[in-house]
Amino acid sequence: MNMSKVVFGFFVLLAVTLNFGFFIGDIDNPQHHDVYELFAALVVSLIATVLKFGERSQMGAILLASSLVVNLHLLAAAVVWAVAVHVMEVGLTPRVMASIVSLSGGALLANLVSLVLLTLDTAGLSRK
Amino acid sequence: MSRHAHKSLVFLFLRRMRMPLVILISAYAIATVGFTLIPGVDDQGNPWRMSFFQAFYVVSYTGSTIGFGEVPYPFSEGQRLWTMVSIYLTVIAWLFSIGSIVSLLQDPAYTRALRRARLAWKVRNLNQPFYLVCGYGDTGRMLTSALTDRGYQVIVVEHNQEKVEALEVVEFLAPVTAFCMNANLPDNLIEAGLRSRWCTGVIAVTGEGHVNLKIAISATLLNHKVAVYASADTRNDADNMRSFNTDCVVNPVEEYVRRLELAIDKPDLFRLYHWLNSGPGARLARSTPIPRGKWIVCGYGRVGRAVYQLLRERGMDVTVIHPDPEQAGCPHGSVIGRGTQAEELSAAGVEDAVGIVASTSDDADNLSILITARALNPDLFHVVLENGLSSHALFRAAEPDFLGQPSIVVAGTILSRISSGLVEPFIQQLLQLNNDTGRDALARFLRHQNDHPPEFSSGRISNRRSPALARALSAGQRITVGNLLADPSNWRARLHLEVVMIRKQKEDILFPPDDLPLEMGDRLLLAGRDGEAQRLQAVLENDQRLEYLLTGRDRQQGLFWQWLERRSSSHRSNG
Repeated sequence: MNMSKVVFGFFVLLAVTLNFGFFIGDIDNPQHHDVYELFAALVVSLIATVLKFGERSQMGAILLASSLVVNLHLLAAAVVWAVAVHVMEVGLTPRVMASIVSLSGGALLANLVSLVLLTLDTAGLSRK
Repeated sequence: MSRHAHKSLVFLFLRRMRMPLVILISAYAIATVGFTLIPGVDDQGNPWRMSFFQAFYVVSYTGSTIGFGEVPYPFSEGQRLWTMVSIYLTVIAWLFSIGSIVSLLQDPAYTRALRRARLAWKVRNLNQPFYLVCGYGDTGRMLTSALTDRGYQVIVVEHNQEKVEALEVVEFLAPVTAFCMNANLPDNLIEAGLRSRWCTGVIAVTGEGHVNLKIAISATLLNHKVAVYASADTRNDADNMRSFNTDCVVNPVEEYVRRLELAIDKPDLFRLYHWLNSGPGARLARSTPIPRGKWIVCGYGRVGRAVYQLLRERGMDVTVIHPDPEQAGCPHGSVIGRGTQAEELSAAGVEDAVGIVASTSDDADNLSILITARALNPDLFHVVLENGLSSHALFRAAEPDFLGQPSIVVAGTILSRISSGLVEPFIQQLLQLNNDTGRDALARFLRHQNDHPPEFSSGRISNRRSPALARALSAGQRITVGNLLADPSNWRARLHLEVVMIRKQKEDILFPPDDLPLEMGDRLLLAGRDGEAQRLQAVLENDQRLEYLLTGRDRQQGLFWQWLERRSSSHRSNG
């Protein structure tokens, strides 16, 4: 068992689960989407990105790319949240909430790609 | 390969930055979450908790040690406690990451890789012809400075760090890029630009023969368009290199002996040959015939052995002085010693000798032999081998009659070959001449040159290379060698230039006479003062200038001026 592989897999999986947890629920209902979960998803995804740095393989490159996409989406969601609540002071209207959740939905898709790639990679490894 | 190396450098950096970045992100996340959880009190005294936005704001200015104070409301004691925790957390995380970056940047392996990547990038972006010089000893240094003087960029590959550092402080007339790496490895040569389409020539002049051989092989295999010039230590290596068409192979010992042989047999031709093949700083040797009689050879190494054989072939009586005659296989009757002691020299019969050859591998010994022998017999003819250029001032001061400098021999021979592919056949034919023709040839050169050796260049009479001349020839005009050599700004005067060889389709004509007519397809080898050949080239491309050269009249440009010219000439013929 390789410890670095455990850590790597842990962060990639955690990024997906947290992202999914935030995403699930009515799209425009602020009660269903917790800000802490969004923050956790963002931080875990950032760490997962850093862990993918310096991979030379083609698989590593795609993993890094998908991770960057996740970061972009989640950062956008966080910025929308901060702007709506603190800068524009409109509060979490259904319109704002829908936009935040849909952004996190995009992130979820990219995260799933990461997960599938990781699974494929592992499957390929076990065959050898 | 080089692009690969550059990419791996980025990966190395990113991989080394993994841990610091993860720690930094975690520290920020913990500090931010902490602030959102700790209860505070707002300005109305109501309980209040920070949002993520406010928390991240506070952490951002705290972590970067800017510190705006307690915003938006004065902190509760709980928040202050957490502020302290987050300050230590984030500041330590920052210090750790900056520390790792600094240590990575100072890592010798990393800086070396970075430097090489930068040089490789520079080489990839070269867009001018350049020469690849492998080895920066005395020979490499001479070649580099001579090539840059001619305007070529040079890339030097040298594995000795000190020599590379010495190179970097020298001012050259053209950019010189120095790689500190082993030229023995083909990958390194590729990184230094061997496969670049601008790579004009590869010059292998490292101190080791087998490395030069390997460089010549690599260059021939990896870039078949490139010209390869190499110095070879042994006859074996030299033959090996010639077998795969190395453009120019110089064996310093062979070359040195060839010059000595010339000096014995054809002294005037020797002066010309030596002058043309000793680099741009060469001086014309004095004409001192080598005396015949009893000779002493000190040192029986590769040079000593070859000189001994040469002198014996010329029917001279030779005594060898060597520290260990049996071991070195010296001829019978050799004297034991280095030749630096008066007794040894006397034992070898210095008093009635006509000449002495100091060919040990130690420059100090050679100088000492020269001085001691001169004291014993002032009329001796001195032939001295100078191994390195570091004691050149001493050798000049000692004024030997015949000085052999392997590094100058190699550099000079390669330099004359680099100017044009016609130089090699020219030199070969020159060597076949007898001494009187050689003296005449030397006199021809000396009409233009003062002490300074002529610069070779070559040209071809073709539509592409010399359009104006080609047009005139196809119009049926008769143009001779003498026509070309007239001064383009004053046709009665002559350029300081000599056509030394014309390669016609079937034959080479050495020193063609002035009235020899030129034909399409001729290749000309020119030698003359620096820059004169460029003036000729301008004439070959321009119809007006060529006509002026042939007739002495300026043809006017433009219809109006041509009409005026026709009018005035018809007036003249009428009147």
